Amino acid sequence: MNLLIQNENLKIYKRKRTWILIAIVALFVLLQIINLHTSGSPAASEDWRAQLEQENSWLTEETSAPDALNIEIRQAEKQLLLNQYHLDHGIPPQQSAWNFAVDQVGNVVFAISLIAIIIAGEIVAAEFASGTIKLLLTRSASRTKIYCAKYIASILFGLALALLGLLLSILFGSLIFGFGGLDHSYLYVSDSAVGEIPLLQALLGSYLFHLPFMVLTVTLAFMISAAFRSTTFSIVISLLASVAGFVIAIAMNGWDWTRYFVFSHTDLTPYIWGDPPVGEVSLAYALVFVLIHLAVMHLVSYTAFVKRDVT
Amino acid sequence: MPLLQIQDLTKKIGKKILVDHLTLEMDKGEILGLLGPNGAGKTTTIRMLVGLISKSEGQVLINGLDTSQHFEQAMAQVGVIVEQPDLYKYLSGYDNLILFSRMSKGVTRQRIDEIVQWVGLAHSIRDKVSSYSLGMRQRLGLAVALMHKPLLLLLDEPTNGLDPAGIRELREHLKLLARQQDVGIVISSHLMSEMEMMCDRVAILQKGKLVGVQRVSDMVQDEHAQVRFEVDRPDLAVQLLQSLLSGEQIDVEQEQLRVRIPKNRIPEISQKLLDAGISVYGVTTIKRTLEDKYIEITGGEPH
Repeated sequence: MNLLIQNENLKIYKRKRTWILIAIVALFVLLQIINLHTSGSPAASEDWRAQLEQENSWLTEETSAPDALNIEIRQAEKQLLLNQYHLDHGIPPQQSAWNFAVDQVGNVVFAISLIAIIIAGEIVAAEFASGTIKLLLTRSASRTKIYCAKYIASILFGLALALLGLLLSILFGSLIFGFGGLDHSYLYVSDSAVGEIPLLQALLGSYLFHLPFMVLTVTLAFMISAAFRSTTFSIVISLLASVAGFVIAIAMNGWDWTRYFVFSHTDLTPYIWGDPPVGEVSLAYALVFVLIHLAVMHLVSYTAFVKRDVT
Repeated sequence: MPLLQIQDLTKKIGKKILVDHLTLEMDKGEILGLLGPNGAGKTTTIRMLVGLISKSEGQVLINGLDTSQHFEQAMAQVGVIVEQPDLYKYLSGYDNLILFSRMSKGVTRQRIDEIVQWVGLAHSIRDKVSSYSLGMRQRLGLAVALMHKPLLLLLDEPTNGLDPAGIRELREHLKLLARQQDVGIVISSHLMSEMEMMCDRVAILQKGKLVGVQRVSDMVQDEHAQVRFEVDRPDLAVQLLQSLLSGEQIDVEQEQLRVRIPKNRIPEISQKLLDAGISVYGVTTIKRTLEDKYIEITGGEPH
């Protein structure tokens, strides 16, 4: 089994295209930080109080706008509380590599998921397209083992990309902000109150709790790849579903029906802060909901992969 | 125990029967050909043997192991080439071998080097497969199929697309394997001359059914032979032959007579012709080829 996974890894990493995809992830992180740097972060200048107050009044205006979305109001309210916290406690808002990394987790995981979809979407289908499936399935390894090896390799690739994204956002962040600041606390809002947790904990927690998105989208691409044996089909459909799911989950954040929408449960970070998007939804509920989706997808693709004739 | 036992192997898709209760056995060191027109079920049969296509009915035993129940153990003793050997083009030949060696037990680096030498790819094994010619790919496919020292080799239309030199090379390799290493080989093809040169036995399939199994040596060393006598007075010769061979059909074509007689009567009959004052310019035995047999068995349906 181990050897089969090694084989899949060899097939992934010995392709030039994989490295182009990895380079895209690096480029994405770099763009994020350039974007942040050029748009003028609230650096700890002398007049940070004035800046925050100005931002607060602007935010208050926004929340009272008649066409404001649920999510906009929530975000604005959180920012207001955070800014107020800074003002009340006399802590100037400080940007560090670590802060940057925590704030970027959601974006990074979203981006690496889209890249991982491309690999997962062809890991089975490409074997059919190239005809290599005939050799692969006529060695002394059962189809079940090959299926599992391929799935594990897809998830591992996603995890590797996530780790790369994490390290790069810290590295690129430190080029601008320096490595310092890890001893600061990360501020978050829960139940209309501001809490503090250690930055490292916030960073690792955020990564871990964002990963369900990657697992779900990779599994979707893998399912279509294994069941329908078409690379294009699986990549296009999963990309569309992932982007749509991601956007809808954000736009519809807080609506009651989203408790039955799987993409609303792929970002579990609110549970770190103790601030679930929909009331009465627990972490366990969210996890089980995602797991059921994964199980159903595997049921479809595993059956198709193991039973169907290779002609 | 036979190396390969096929019992009542059947494939149905809906109402269509692609392979119909095929029963066949073969031993170590034997080269068995599956011959038949396109659509006779050769490819389906081979793919069922290796588990690419599920069986509707029947059983396949490889070295006594049922492929449905002990797929992994059974396949450990089998090497397969299905049509063109499709390998990973973006990897080097060597990486391809490493990849497949990990899927079989006991294939060492040493063994890989050995098999690379044997198929004659030592110079290009580090190059990407995308740069290989079709013949080289076929050789690499053979290396993949043989690296784990299988007892049974299954080849589906392996000569498709190969040039004459490639076909000849493959034939030599396969014969060596069967004679020296006692590997049993099943090979499907619709090219009869090729099968005649390569195989010990030929199983002829038609519309999914096994219609005959022929030992190639039997066909070549048939006791009866078509014999052509070239004479100066055919009318007289016909009368004489008719009296000698009561009931046999005699074809006359200008000055040539064609009869089917046991080989050992050729000297006697020649002598009789000469004694009757007929000049004999030539006596030729016409070999019955696999093609004749094939046409005879399949009822002359062209492939």
